[in-house]
Amino acid sequence: MAPVVPRSGDAVFANVERVNAELFTLTYGAIVRQLLTDLEEVEEVNKQLDQMGYNIGVRLIDEFLAKSNISRCVDFKETAEVIAKVGFKMFLGVTATVTNWDVEGTTCSLVLEDNPLVEFVELPDTCQGLYYCNILSGVVRGALEMVSMKTEVSWVRDMLHGDDAYELRVKLIKQVPEEYPYKDDE
Amino acid sequence: MGREVAESCVDAVVIEMVSAFCHKFYSAEPELAARRIEAIGYQVGHQLVERYTMDCPRFTDHLEAIKFICKEFWSELFKKQIDNLKTNHRGTFVLQDNMFRWIARISPNPLQENSTESSTPNDDNQAAQTTSMHLYFPCGIIRGALTSLGIPCAVSADISNRPACSFVVRIKA
Amino acid sequence: MQFFGGSAAAEMTPSPAAPPGTATGLAGNNANMLYIFNRNGVCLLYREWHRPLHTLDAQEDQKLMFGLLFSLRSFTAKMDPTSVDKGNLGVPLLPGQGCSFYSFRTNTYKLSFMESPSGIKLILVTHPKTGDLRDALRYMYNLYVEYVVKNPLYVPGSPIKGQQAELQGSSRFERVEGSGQQVHKLPILDSNPIQGKTNSG
Repeated sequence: MAPVVPRSGDAVFANVERVNAELFTLTYGAIVRQLLTDLEEVEEVNKQLDQMGYNIGVRLIDEFLAKSNISRCVDFKETAEVIAKVGFKMFLGVTATVTNWDVEGTTCSLVLEDNPLVEFVELPDTCQGLYYCNILSGVVRGALEMVSMKTEVSWVRDMLHGDDAYELRVKLIKQVPEEYPYKDDE
Repeated sequence: MGREVAESCVDAVVIEMVSAFCHKFYSAEPELAARRIEAIGYQVGHQLVERYTMDCPRFTDHLEAIKFICKEFWSELFKKQIDNLKTNHRGTFVLQDNMFRWIARISPNPLQENSTESSTPNDDNQAAQTTSMHLYFPCGIIRGALTSLGIPCAVSADISNRPACSFVVRIKA
Repeated sequence: MQFFGGSAAAEMTPSPAAPPGTATGLAGNNANMLYIFNRNGVCLLYREWHRPLHTLDAQEDQKLMFGLLFSLRSFTAKMDPTSVDKGNLGVPLLPGQGCSFYSFRTNTYKLSFMESPSGIKLILVTHPKTGDLRDALRYMYNLYVEYVVKNPLYVPGSPIKGQQAELQGSSRFERVEGSGQQVHKLPILDSNPIQGKTNSG
């Protein structure tokens, strides 16, 4: 049997069902707008977007692993590269760059220069504290948790706030080994 | 062809949106959850139609606008046209998609406890409710699109012949 | 889980020898059981086609199966002669850490195993002469993604309920394992599609 080779981001993206990006962008925009109306507090919207992203990440991880043929992700460095080059590409059609590793090799940045989520978006003055793309940080956190990596993910650069790119800081807190799930051994 | 993203992105965001509004923000008030989901769809339909009709002439009558929804608009969203369009000539139109992507994946998921394989009426209710919550989104899209074409209307969905889905558009006089 | 006795079992026996190599990776019509577990040891799906002998209740059976895999993985990693980096026996491994086994064979059955980095475990028990099933398992993982995970009504981490599997996934699961020959007909629980009307506006 031929060994299973992980597929490249381009190859996976070419093979998945795709849709018009406007539908995605506008749907997300409409959700954020509705949350701003309903929840009023920008901080609360940030929190809910992150939570929604987390739930999405938990669902998307298996699709990602199945379609990209990735059979192991133990090393955080390698995993970060795979997210940037295959994960982002497969779902959003863009790749991110992994940079700014700290000395311990447990924190890095994912930099996006092109981000389909924010097309047609401008933040009104009342929403300056909004992390519009917070769903993405949640997705990364949720997906990583499913492959046993507990992380903290936060935005350090955001083009909607006038920066020159989107930069997500990903910090590995710990890798959680697989525990035997049954307490009592009867 | 313009820019594309994986279909899963839209699916995932919609699943999570419906679940957040139904089970978190308005878990005790399904009516309100439904209204919010519809409003999100409305907003999307409204904005999409503005983009797609930028260099189209205005439609001269209702039928022309409805046909635009069935053909160009539906193709942009689902890469296929509406399969069947019916009207009573008194302001009601039925747009049928024989294989509506957004409900094709929805398969009843009774509640989570394991034991029996058979479903209870309660499970079915739950599944039916979630399914109809999902339908408020495309209904809102169609209503938003038509409204911004100058046609105020009400839109409902009928999925008694799954995976076919019929959208019933009633134009407000 | 009831055993599909009588005629269904009669059709099945004796298990024919698997075609040598089964290059397609399909199981032929000799699948006995299928288990899918998640990382928390929840049995998401259990199906059986040919299992004349039941000695345990379903829950105990699933727990044992999960325990077997858990320990076996720990043992195989510990015994790996090529790796310098191996923990103590019983010390938990990260999913995907250490080496991994694909299958084992006894004189009466073969157990094939696949684990995703997210801890989803697929186990297929078949005739001992069945060939390599890694492709088939990967294919089933894809089915799990398409028809279970992407179903908006499915709550991640919960057991896959009958209807869900029957309606969409299992007929396809069936095709993999049965490769054309229906071993038995799965009960189709959902003959009445959900009816619903939604109003908007």
